[in-house]
Amino acid sequence: MILITGPLFSGKRSTAKALLHWTDEELAQNAVRDAQELAAGCADLDALAQELAQKPVVIVTEVGGGVVPADPDERAAREAAGRLSCLLAERAETVIRVFCGIPTILKGGIAP
Amino acid sequence: MTALVIGGAASGKSAFAEQLAVSLSDGPRCYIATMQPFDGECRARIQRHREQRAGKGFATLECFTGLHRAVPPEKSTVLLECVSNLAANELYSPDGAGDGAVEAIVEGVRSLRRRCEHLVIVSNEVFSGGSSYAGDTLHYLRVLAQVNRLLAQEADEVYEIVCGLPICHKGKGVGA
Repeated sequence: MILITGPLFSGKRSTAKALLHWTDEELAQNAVRDAQELAAGCADLDALAQELAQKPVVIVTEVGGGVVPADPDERAAREAAGRLSCLLAERAETVIRVFCGIPTILKGGIAP
Repeated sequence: MTALVIGGAASGKSAFAEQLAVSLSDGPRCYIATMQPFDGECRARIQRHREQRAGKGFATLECFTGLHRAVPPEKSTVLLECVSNLAANELYSPDGAGDGAVEAIVEGVRSLRRRCEHLVIVSNEVFSGGSSYAGDTLHYLRVLAQVNRLLAQEADEVYEIVCGLPICHKGKGVGA
C-alpha cells in the first residue's frame, strides 16, 4: 500500500495520479480518499488500518496541526485520524507527503 | 529567479524571505506590501515588518488588490508579502476580483516575474488544522491552496519554513 498524506488541498490526488500514471477513473477504483474520516467513531483502528493496508493507495489529510477542538466529538475524531495515519504508515510500503503539490518520500519508494 | 516561501504564523518566514531577497542581488529592492491597515493590530504588525526591513534597501510599494497594477523598478529584486493577504483582499474587498481571485493573483505574479530580476513570494501554511470551519473559511482555504500550488509549480525554489529554518521542497536549497 502507498500512503499519501499532506495538508488540506495540498494536491495529494494530483500527485497520486502523476506518480502512478493513473487516470481519474483508476484513482477512483484503486484509492481510498479521506481515510481520516473513516477513523471518527471507529471502535478498532488496528482492524481498520489492516483493512486499508490491502488497498493499493490510501490518501489521508493531515488534520492535527490546529488548536485542540473545543467540541469533544471533533477532538476524538482528530485524535483517531492521527492515530490511524501512524498505523497506516507502519503498514505502508511507501509513504509520501505532499506539500504545495510537491511530493516528498518519507518511506520506501516508487518505481519510475 | 522566483522563490516561494511558506510557513505558519511567526515561523520566521518573513525574515528568511528578506534574507533570501537581499542575498540574490545588490541591485534595487522593492517590497510589495499587501496588508490593509484596518486597525491598530494591523498597523503594529506593519510597523514591526518595516523595522525588520529597515536598512536593507527596500523601497515599499503598497498593493492590496490587482497585483498586475504593481510596477516595481525594472530589474529589481521584489519581495511580495504575502499571498494570504492578497487572497483575502481579492475575495472580500469591494474592489477585489471575487470569483476571479486565483487568476488575478497568479497573473499578477506572472507580470511581476516578467518585470523584475528576482521575485521572492511569501505565503502561509494554514492547511493542517482540519476542515471544520464556519462561514466562508473553507472557500478561502481552497483558493489560497490553489494559488500556492500554482505558484509552487512555476517557482524555481520552494521553501517551507519551520522554526526559522528552511526545508527545501524544490530547487537548489540554502543552508540555515
